[in-house]
Amino acid sequence: MNHGSGNRLGKPAFPSRQSAMFQQTIRLGQAVSRRGFLASGLGTTAALGRTPYILTSTALGGQGKPSAGDRITIGLIGLGGHGIGHNLQGFLRQPDAQIVALCDPDRARIEEALKVCRQRLGETFTCLCTQDWREVIRRGDVDAVMISTPDHWHVPISVAAIRAGKDVICEKPTLTIAEGRVLADTVRRYGAVFQTSTEDRSIPVYIRMAELVRNGRIGRLQRIRVQLPAGPSQPGSAEPKPAPEGLDWDLWLGPAPWAPYREGLHMFHWRGKRDYSGGTLTDWGAHQLDTVQLANDTERTGPVEVEGTGRRHETGLYDVFYEFHLVYRYASGVELYVDSGGTGLRFEGTDGWVGNKGWCQPLEASDPKILQTPIGPNELHLEVGPGEHRNFLDCVKTRRDPYFPAEVGHRCSTIAHIGNIAMELGRRLRWNPNKEEFIDDPMANQMRCRAMRQPWTL
Amino acid sequence: MLSIAKKVTGLLLSSFVINLWLVVGSTAAAADEKLDKAFEALKTYDWGTDRSVLKPIDEAIVASHKDTAAKKSLEMRLVAALKGNVSQAAKDFICRQLSLIGSAGCVPAVAELLTDEKLSHMARYALERIPDEEAVAALREALPKTTGKVKVGVINSLGVRRDAKSVEALKALLADQDAEIAAAAAASLGAIGTVESAKALTEFQAKAPEKLQLAAADACLVCAERLAAAGNKAEAMALYKLLAKSEIKHVKLAATRGMLALAGKKEKSEEKK
Repeated sequence: MNHGSGNRLGKPAFPSRQSAMFQQTIRLGQAVSRRGFLASGLGTTAALGRTPYILTSTALGGQGKPSAGDRITIGLIGLGGHGIGHNLQGFLRQPDAQIVALCDPDRARIEEALKVCRQRLGETFTCLCTQDWREVIRRGDVDAVMISTPDHWHVPISVAAIRAGKDVICEKPTLTIAEGRVLADTVRRYGAVFQTSTEDRSIPVYIRMAELVRNGRIGRLQRIRVQLPAGPSQPGSAEPKPAPEGLDWDLWLGPAPWAPYREGLHMFHWRGKRDYSGGTLTDWGAHQLDTVQLANDTERTGPVEVEGTGRRHETGLYDVFYEFHLVYRYASGVELYVDSGGTGLRFEGTDGWVGNKGWCQPLEASDPKILQTPIGPNELHLEVGPGEHRNFLDCVKTRRDPYFPAEVGHRCSTIAHIGNIAMELGRRLRWNPNKEEFIDDPMANQMRCRAMRQPWTL
Repeated sequence: MLSIAKKVTGLLLSSFVINLWLVVGSTAAAADEKLDKAFEALKTYDWGTDRSVLKPIDEAIVASHKDTAAKKSLEMRLVAALKGNVSQAAKDFICRQLSLIGSAGCVPAVAELLTDEKLSHMARYALERIPDEEAVAALREALPKTTGKVKVGVINSLGVRRDAKSVEALKALLADQDAEIAAAAAASLGAIGTVESAKALTEFQAKAPEKLQLAAADACLVCAERLAAAGNKAEAMALYKLLAKSEIKHVKLAATRGMLALAGKKEKSEEKK
């Protein structure tokens, strides 16, 4: 298990990270960032005053590699398929990102991530490797964290990191409405840079779709139709099993209610269990509903009514809605239909429609002329992002909001959450997006939050 | 002829009403039977058991919306089950249900679980949601009876419930040797956000050991926001001014942001967003 002690694997690869100047920062025990420390000039003073310090070629940069002061040091927390395959690989491709910590409650995943880093950076690469994310947060040499854990850990780790002075890029979605509110408030309070990690705002078809709708190319928007994948198709086995060697199951569970290990949870399929996720409605909803909110110009608010039906497996392990049919209504009168089965978007207005069928598939419209229409200089232009990782790094340097900030991500997740609650209660619910509460339904309001298992809290 | 027609219509109507009553009655009886079976199944329910056996309870909870009598009846049956010799999995299930329909009536039974390391969380899962004052009082009363992580959980729940009556007890816990307990107490005092909790945090901020400085600072920031939201702007500003002297850069910046927000101004970087 080795939970709680940071085990270093392999040999040092970045001497500059272990410099006297660097260690001095840690010894001071204050939450001074590495970049801030270097920028303040105190680093030089400390180095000159205590130990001779030689600037290495790694620290100075060169050959397309930025100098140490221009690099953002990243700790990766959560190293599942997406954590390694998309997020670790994504940051390894950025010349100004430096991986300084790898963390996962499963030691096998740390080994896998380390292997990927060494394939790219050389066999001598090493960094902090730990099963406990708190060790990453405590480190003074970590500027930012990339969180790719199961959903029930997204907000607790994000909030702890921001309080420790880190910037955060975190996978979507939130677990509950209340958690999302705490996250958005914490980001605002500290002025942290927070990216809700999805690629949608870097995908031209979705940006163009929203741009056409926002600029009135389909007339007045009336209806939005969204398709999200169904699943899980099988109920899974609820039979308790011993946790695999090397997996700290208690830490994996974290704030979720205690439950025995079941084979169908780790990795990825935890999305089928309500204690850890809201199912594909929240997972894929965070993608497609983001474009909905952007196109509908409701990024920082939400619908006012929701009703729907869904189906859940009655036996076995998984208990999220694997099939769902929801109808929402916005204050403007715009209706939003969300149905399981594939992926797709369609915006219908008084003068036509635009949309696509399938993830990232080409844009279609009621009239091909709509697709060719240019956006004039005095109209709204929406920018296609450079990818969530690149956008985040740029924003860490400029201190601007990334393209999918916490508040917008929270509002997007909330649409899916109120849909899940409406299906669980089997009744139409009225929602006040300003107060973020259901109207005249105490039971629904009680479902906005969940107590966390000790000692975890927000 | 008219009177015969009236009699026939009357008979047909009576027959329809009787049939409807029989159908509704038999449906209700079937539902009751299913519910009885589900409560029976709860006695042997455990991890890995087919959870469909409990579905009638789930359905009855949802259907009890706006039916006070049904809610009360379900609550009492769940309490009786909770007091029985049932598994941790069954108690987990019961607490989830009580978190939705529970009232003061179930609090004593749920509160008994608060000191149990394995069950304390699910007890809080219910008590954090139950709106009655008795639920908060139970958490407050559990504070001196708990230790370690279980105590941390109870402290956290008192913060979630923003229980102003806990301020004195939480203030005392700021000096606890267990750093996790002291940090949790600070966070909950911040969440409570009263003038009294601000006073406690102001004292704590000045003398907090190094490993608790971030926790103290964050609690003060949260407290300041809650004070400001309640109209206590002077007290909020006092907390921000205290934190503006912090040696921790991001805390200092957060305090500055707070002061600007309180004064109704935006930072330049904020205006650009």
